[in-house]
Amino acid sequence: MAKEKVLTEQDSLRIIQEMIQKAKAGAHYERGQGPILWGSVIGFAGIMSFLEIYFKWNIPFDWWILTLVALIPQVFIVLNDRKKNIVKTHEARAIDMVWAVFGISIFALVLYGNFIGQITIQLLAEEDITLWKRSGTDGSLASFQMFVPSIASLYLMIYGFPTLVTGVVIRCRSMLIGACICYILFVVSLYTPTVWDMLFIGIAGICNWLIPGIILRRQYLLSVKTKHV
Amino acid sequence: MFKELDPILHSQLRLAAISLLISVKEAEFTFIKEKTNATAGNLSVQLNKLKDAGYIDITKHFKDNYPQTLCKITPQGLDAFEKYVNNLQSYINGDGQEGG
Repeated sequence: MAKEKVLTEQDSLRIIQEMIQKAKAGAHYERGQGPILWGSVIGFAGIMSFLEIYFKWNIPFDWWILTLVALIPQVFIVLNDRKKNIVKTHEARAIDMVWAVFGISIFALVLYGNFIGQITIQLLAEEDITLWKRSGTDGSLASFQMFVPSIASLYLMIYGFPTLVTGVVIRCRSMLIGACICYILFVVSLYTPTVWDMLFIGIAGICNWLIPGIILRRQYLLSVKTKHV
Repeated sequence: MFKELDPILHSQLRLAAISLLISVKEAEFTFIKEKTNATAGNLSVQLNKLKDAGYIDITKHFKDNYPQTLCKITPQGLDAFEKYVNNLQSYINGDGQEGG
């Protein structure tokens, strides 16, 4: 049997440091496909919605349905990532959880936006309260349909949070910038009508996910290429 | 007096493997092999020694029809590693010499 090399204290320390560095460097938190997918979809849907409202186009298609379609490639991306990941870091798990919570929050916000108006009207009706709106032109009264004011602002606010956390953890500057742009657009959207909010959502999708996604993808492909040289 | 360094950890490959596992939640055998530049046979033997000492958990299953070996540090392994590093520190600082 081959005799093992006797380790000095310095050797041990060097091995520990070296391995901890290697473990950090060997982990891929992001291959960029997810951010590219969602950045493209949100960017496209937001900009198309803006153009449709702004130019009063009558396109019988809800661009936001594309977000549901995008779930299909997302499943493949997740499965593919699982196949490729030969190591799971604590940071990667934390980031995954942040994005899972983000997904749940978006779903909750969609529910809120779609149902809260009608539910509020019903609850008010139970208390014998009816909301009316008076026409500015002829003074006639019509029932008021409750809506969530500037719901796009809430989306912009939520879009920023997982990107900011991920950007800090993986030290990705483009994600930090994207998240900051999201929060700036959130503040601006408080003062603008829905049509511009749609444009802001499109811009947020591009700055928050698409651009960082492309950068991360290039970095990942480069690291794979260097590894195989 | 200096405390004796844990003989299970005081070996090049086992120390390298446990140092990798300390930084991650879990890692595949191939990852440890790649990072330590060890041969599959040698690594397998050393990982089994760590497993027998209760320092790591090794689970084997199939992923896409290929066998996959996942390694994960245990709380016992974490304790042992912490003690090892503390003892190493006292060796390097020469703490034990003055008192002993």
